[in-house]
Amino acid sequence: MAGNSINACFDVTSLGRPFDEAVAKAIGDALFLEVNVVEGFGGFPLNGDGFMDELTLAMNNTCDVFMGVSVSANSPFSEAFSLTRPYATIPFVLAVSDPQWQSLGDIPKDRPLGTAMASMGEMQYITWAQQQPEGQSWVRYPYPDPIKMATRVLDGTIAGMILWQPALARLQAERPETEALRVIDSAPIPGAAVSVGALVSSRNGFLRSEMDQAIDALVADGTIDALMAEFGYQGLAGE
Amino acid sequence: MKSRILPALLAASTALATLSAPAFAQNVIEDYAPVTAEMLANPPAEEWLMFRGKYNNQGYSELDMINKDTVGDLELAWAWPMAEAGIQETAPLVHDGIMFLQTNNNIVEALNAETGDLIWQYRHPVAEIPASWSYQANQARRQKNSIALYEDKVILTTVDAKIVVLNAADGKVAWEKQVLDYNLGYSYTVGAQIADGKIISAISGCSIAGTAGGCYIMAHDVETGDEVWRFNTIDDPNNPEQQASWGGVPPENRWGGTPWTTGAYDPDTNTTYWGIGMPGPYAELIRGSGDGSVLYTNSTLALDAATGELKWYYQHLPRDNWDLDSPFERVLVDQEIDGVMHKMLVTVPGKNGIAFALDRDTGEYLWSKETIVQNVVSSIDDDGKVNINEDLVFNALGEEFLVCSSVSGGKLWQAGAYSPDTQAFFVPLTEACNTVAPTQTEFTAGNAVGSVKFGPRVLPEGITDAGLMQALDINPEQGESKWQYRYRPSPTSSVLATAGGLVFGGDAAREIKAWDQETGELVWSQRLNAPIGGYPMTYALNGEQYLVVPTGYSNSASSISSAFPEIPLPTGSGNSIFVFKLPSDTTTASAN
Repeated sequence: MAGNSINACFDVTSLGRPFDEAVAKAIGDALFLEVNVVEGFGGFPLNGDGFMDELTLAMNNTCDVFMGVSVSANSPFSEAFSLTRPYATIPFVLAVSDPQWQSLGDIPKDRPLGTAMASMGEMQYITWAQQQPEGQSWVRYPYPDPIKMATRVLDGTIAGMILWQPALARLQAERPETEALRVIDSAPIPGAAVSVGALVSSRNGFLRSEMDQAIDALVADGTIDALMAEFGYQGLAGE
Repeated sequence: MKSRILPALLAASTALATLSAPAFAQNVIEDYAPVTAEMLANPPAEEWLMFRGKYNNQGYSELDMINKDTVGDLELAWAWPMAEAGIQETAPLVHDGIMFLQTNNNIVEALNAETGDLIWQYRHPVAEIPASWSYQANQARRQKNSIALYEDKVILTTVDAKIVVLNAADGKVAWEKQVLDYNLGYSYTVGAQIADGKIISAISGCSIAGTAGGCYIMAHDVETGDEVWRFNTIDDPNNPEQQASWGGVPPENRWGGTPWTTGAYDPDTNTTYWGIGMPGPYAELIRGSGDGSVLYTNSTLALDAATGELKWYYQHLPRDNWDLDSPFERVLVDQEIDGVMHKMLVTVPGKNGIAFALDRDTGEYLWSKETIVQNVVSSIDDDGKVNINEDLVFNALGEEFLVCSSVSGGKLWQAGAYSPDTQAFFVPLTEACNTVAPTQTEFTAGNAVGSVKFGPRVLPEGITDAGLMQALDINPEQGESKWQYRYRPSPTSSVLATAGGLVFGGDAAREIKAWDQETGELVWSQRLNAPIGGYPMTYALNGEQYLVVPTGYSNSASSISSAFPEIPLPTGSGNSIFVFKLPSDTTTASAN
């Protein structure tokens, strides 16, 4: 943070990367700060090795804020970092291409599902499935790549996919062939949603306080709602 | 040694050379003697031509000048700081008076094996990668455990998934080949085996999302680099049993199966043997494979070196849920008993520390033997079927079990050694347990990582010494304990056995030790600058036997630091090699 500017960093593999940048700029406008967009990092293995090391380096060297992080009760971040209040809460959804199905319960149990690998939505599904009698849940395959998973829904390999809604919105914005995908009710699986916020240094309580106030204001005046609509996101501003 | 190392002219100006001559020094080895296929099949006792000395991966030397009577007289001949900090598992090679030493970031150096003088250095120009590929950048800091020698070449596998062939004489690149796409996550972390006119190697990075469905052992023509065959360790279309073992999970949703250690080779049958690592994701609850055994993870594979066709497989740990992978060294042992030659494959393949012997021609299970405390395998049937402890299979995310051995304990990359003199297999092991729980963690919103959370490493109840040097008395019928040596620090180096009746190995407390092969009596130790690491080896030159001891950081050395505060790690990585020999007036080296 220098003078009237702020360095906002991003996980370049983040599913909500463009939305997070738009929110960062709105926060900057609210605080009369110029926002310098800094690409962060990404490309980690499935077990997350190295993420915290890279994050710590980036926060110490470059970033005033790191946008697009998950704000959850059991935050994995060290106490060196503080989370802002969430600027959006966005659900996981079930997407299918078969027009006959209106909810997960309509999908035959012998058809497999795909889940976004290591996601909250996948965790919710596994937890639910483990509580069902044998044969009363769907076989599930993990997919790290939403494009591959969507391809497999469209070619019928899997009946549907559970993924974070921004990933679906991005697919449908960028790939016309995914237009046939639609969201159906995921009942009986309980809903899962991710609250999205930003990370700041714990030593910079002033910045965090300013960010929180700015987010409050942007939620209250409809700015976040407008951005979510612009990017095709479901869910709620703030929360 | 003949004097045939001549300084080469440099492009640098005289002024520049004056300012920084050592950094630019580049010499040439004249009349380098090629490493022939015959030499690889029958290496001279005085040399160390490959990863574990010979194709059989025994880690055994026929040199006997350094023995139980003389080891106490060892003196430092020379030492050398490796060219890079960070973690490494170096396996130095020696041929024709030259030591070839590799370290991380794909740096290879040629040293005068008698004096320790640097002759040439090769620094691989790693491909530029976007900042978003920081994991691949991390891969560059990971260890490379071996290089290979063939004819007048040094063969290197790189972090950016290339095979690079250097001229042994000057370290210049003769040719290189991009084998797989590093942008998907592929990289090499182990070196190649040169056999049957091929560079036989195995790729890593198979737990990265982009490498889904493909983890390979591959063969390339040693002269041209053309791919001859590849074998996919997690997708074998020729074996319905392998496909079914993933519980319906399609190949494109499979990960893991990394062959983490350079294989063994039997020239008589032209068979190459490789160990395979864990499945991904770690927990079956997450990977969706149900109670399937997820072949060929945690297996030994015997492949036809000519074609890559699978001859047989044996799975040491089905249904791995705890990252207790089993890719470590496979050792080929021949024993003639009552006029019958028994051709075995002996291994402690994985982190649970269980020793196995197989008939290496058929894959038939011969016996197994538990070593350290483990609770993951409940029994092994007479036919070799391994039964896991299903009480430790997760039924819910967040469910936590205490699992022994630990992901960072048991048997790791540090290779054991077999001595044909004592018919004993010496294995460095670490007692450890940790809690394991399948979990998911979101850092970036909607983009979570992680599938298993590991708790801190603890010692099993009632055990206060982490380190165990286990000597196993090996024959085709059994592998019983010959002796055990327990000590507080963890072993951090591989083991070397010699015809001098000794077995050498080192630990996190910076001590290189020598034990009497027969009794387990500690007969020598020397404290060095950093945790002992890599692959100690020995060679002879001008009638003198040398002992090479690498030191520095590896994954094992760094993970031990949190376990034993009384054994502090030194500042800096300390990556070095120390070369010992006997005083010059001691009798001339011989090979028995």
